[in-house]
Amino acid sequence: MEELTLRKFESYCTQEDPPACQCRCPVHVEAGQMLAKLASGAVDEARKILERYLPLASLTAFLCDGACLEKCLRANLDQSVNIPLLEREIIVNGRATRLYPLPPTSKRVALIGAGLSALTAAYELARRGHKVEIFHLSTPGGTLNSLAEDKLPPQALVEAIDLLESLNTDFNQVQSFEPQWFEKLKKEFGAIFLSLDDPDLLPQSLGLNGELIVDPVSMALKDSNDYLFACELTQSYPMSNLISSGKKVAASIDRILQGANLTAARENEAVRESKLRVNLTGRKVIAPIVPSNSGVYTTQEAQAEADRCLNCSCLACVPPCPLLRSRKGFYPKKWTREFYNNIITAFGIRHSNININSCSLCGLCSSLCPNGFNMSEFIDLAKLDMVVTNHMPVSAHEFALEDQLFSNSKPAYFLRPQKGFKSSAALFFPGCQLTASLPKAVRDLYKYLAANFEGGLGLWSACCGAPGRWSGRRKFTDSTISLLRTDWEAAGKPEVVLACPSCRRFFLSEIPFIPIRSLWSLINSLPLPSSAQPFSGELSIHDPCAARLDTEGQEAVRAILSKLGQKIIEPTFTKTTTLCCGYGGLASLANPVIGQQFVLERLQSTTEPIVGWCAVCRDRFKEQQHPALHPLELLFPQLSPKEAMEQKPPTISDRRYNRAAFAKEMLKDIWEEEIEEEKTMNLKIEISDKVMDDMERRRILISDVTAVLEYTEVNGPMFLNPESGRQIACFRPRQVTFWVEYEKKDDLYIVTKAWSHRMILKSAPGPSLDSPATLEGYARSGGRV
Amino acid sequence: MGHAFAKFDAEGWNCKKCGRPLTPCSVNVEYMGSSFFVELPGCQECGFILIDDELALGRMLEVEKLLEDK
Ligand code: SF4
Ligand code: SF4
Ligand code: SF4
Ligand SMILES: [Zn+2]
Repeated sequence: MEELTLRKFESYCTQEDPPACQCRCPVHVEAGQMLAKLASGAVDEARKILERYLPLASLTAFLCDGACLEKCLRANLDQSVNIPLLEREIIVNGRATRLYPLPPTSKRVALIGAGLSALTAAYELARRGHKVEIFHLSTPGGTLNSLAEDKLPPQALVEAIDLLESLNTDFNQVQSFEPQWFEKLKKEFGAIFLSLDDPDLLPQSLGLNGELIVDPVSMALKDSNDYLFACELTQSYPMSNLISSGKKVAASIDRILQGANLTAARENEAVRESKLRVNLTGRKVIAPIVPSNSGVYTTQEAQAEADRCLNCSCLACVPPCPLLRSRKGFYPKKWTREFYNNIITAFGIRHSNININSCSLCGLCSSLCPNGFNMSEFIDLAKLDMVVTNHMPVSAHEFALEDQLFSNSKPAYFLRPQKGFKSSAALFFPGCQLTASLPKAVRDLYKYLAANFEGGLGLWSACCGAPGRWSGRRKFTDSTISLLRTDWEAAGKPEVVLACPSCRRFFLSEIPFIPIRSLWSLINSLPLPSSAQPFSGELSIHDPCAARLDTEGQEAVRAILSKLGQKIIEPTFTKTTTLCCGYGGLASLANPVIGQQFVLERLQSTTEPIVGWCAVCRDRFKEQQHPALHPLELLFPQLSPKEAMEQKPPTISDRRYNRAAFAKEMLKDIWEEEIEEEKTMNLKIEISDKVMDDMERRRILISDVTAVLEYTEVNGPMFLNPESGRQIACFRPRQVTFWVEYEKKDDLYIVTKAWSHRMILKSAPGPSLDSPATLEGYARSGGRV
Repeated sequence: MGHAFAKFDAEGWNCKKCGRPLTPCSVNVEYMGSSFFVELPGCQECGFILIDDELALGRMLEVEKLLEDK
């Protein structure tokens, strides 16, 4: 992956942009952090933060006119947080931070005039170790000397001047400013600053008679060879601008003295709009705290006022996503960087493989993000990269890839025109998960559709290829697409009716040349099937994450349910913000723990049974013992709704069996084709529910156990426990070695345990030890085994 | 990696063919292009090695994942 790609994605996540108040503040005080400290009673820490940004804070905190107030987001709820007044409270009650000026440099800087801008510039320059000489006519401070006591405590100015003197700054009182004197000064100093906010200083007295133009970034005077600087030139000289002028000038002069570029990378010094987006819904109104004691906060009042700060941040996408919230303090910008570093790791362990594979590609973040940040697009690129560079953990997705191959080979795969038709006006494509979960309902659905369809509705039983794509395997996916394309072209390039939202998304992006149509819109345009019956209670509707943007499907499903008289309720997160069941992106396969958190997130606030129009979602809810239905179970019921929603979900073995059985039965019943029985040894095998549960979690199929036992039947078992009479055998039919422990009663195998591993032992028996068949190899054969 | 699976617990199990109790055998194990020797219970005579569920689903799985993330 290119670093540029990372940058592009990072730029969509603006969580790191400072809050509005900080962007508006001319010296960018980190008010949010400061107020959080103050609110918690840590006033010294709050002062430390303030002093980091505000030069000569013990003086300037009394003077700042609070430009931030106009931007504080609290104003949208009630009234801005009184940051300027709180800064005063912090200075009065917080302990001053110890200063550690840099060691003295040999550089000398002259400041002419001693207005506020000169004092702040002197502070910043002296801290950097430069020798500062201030030349002034009357008492330093300029107009500050005439401020009322309640505005500026008089000792604040005196103490500020003492502090500057202690910091290597000389105050030189002169009788007058003269052009010749100025010329002499120019020869003596590395840089000169004009504090034009000091009423004593008139440019003409220095012989500067033309119009003075100041560069807003560097504060350098035009045509002065970056040697003369001045404060911002305005009529009224707002205090906050003077403070920031001094700070900017000091930074400029420091650059000049160090021989650095004067203007490079200074964008963030300017006042600007914040790109941080803050969601204010649900935030409480809190009336501003009015100081009880003549305009000054008590400690309690200050804490309460500081506590009004919303501590502005975005994080809109983080809480509902189990992946994004899985690391404290992380949000998409940090995650993408983490993922990027993971995939460019040259040596060592790639610790974040598991996290990359834990994104369900559900797109929720992109619906919630004000900038449309979409993690699934980034993860897609990351996975492709991992596969190409041979760094995708093989075990992460293998089961689903094998499942895909199974669905696209005999006996599960077929395409037939409608019985009695030579060609098809359209093909119904139920998708591999629907035939795995609800084969009987799909059979009835097909009969109903075909009876109502003009021009012949063929049936196409296959897997679209989404699992391979989710695993980042481009070549594997391409071979699936070419299989589908060949058969679709041979069928006369008809329109394809899709039932599964993931198929739909996959067809749209990967097979765009095949015209598609929504099953749900089609059903909605037909009379309801006579078998249809609603559930008596309310159902919580669940939109699959792949249908997040499929408004047509969302509306059609709701319309069908409403025609049926089914009462539904909408969950909090629904339609474009629907929550993922965790199967998407094969997340639950690669990381079952996070996969479960996805389902639980959806189930958390739902007490009603769920009706969801993706078979996998339905089954994953059921796995958590939450009653769930697919709309087809109401339209083409095989059981009462109550029984159906409470029935156990199919196991991984059932799913394969159902796909093959669906094909076999349909071809026999409708097309009157006889399917050759698979030759097996017909061993008698008994597996308890407990062992089946273990096998389900370990992704061991009944056919894997059978393979071990068939091998054993021929070659004999490997180990025997004379005491218990149990036996153990193993076999490696593919990339996995399967082990079975069993008891044998006559010709009955009673399986007591089944487990597996992937490592290859030199002594493990089995045919594919030396050249294990690879998935890519299967794929090259066109996906047909 | 030599001691990755340093564990010996095949109490009660014999080789079916030879009838011998299982004893520690040095076995070459291979995964993701890495190969190393570990000691595992097996039959000295015919070389059958027993990997029980605890080992396969515990330490061995961890090492597999580690090698996959390398
Ligand atoms: S609420 Fe707090 S962080 Fe947000 S803009 Fe106002 S002061 Fe700044
Ligand atoms: S799982 Fe969904 S919400 Fe979470 S990062 Fe991935 S696409 Fe975004
Ligand atoms: S919603 Fe998420 S991705 Fe978007 S800016 Fe906020 S934290 Fe970043
Ligand atoms: Zn033996």
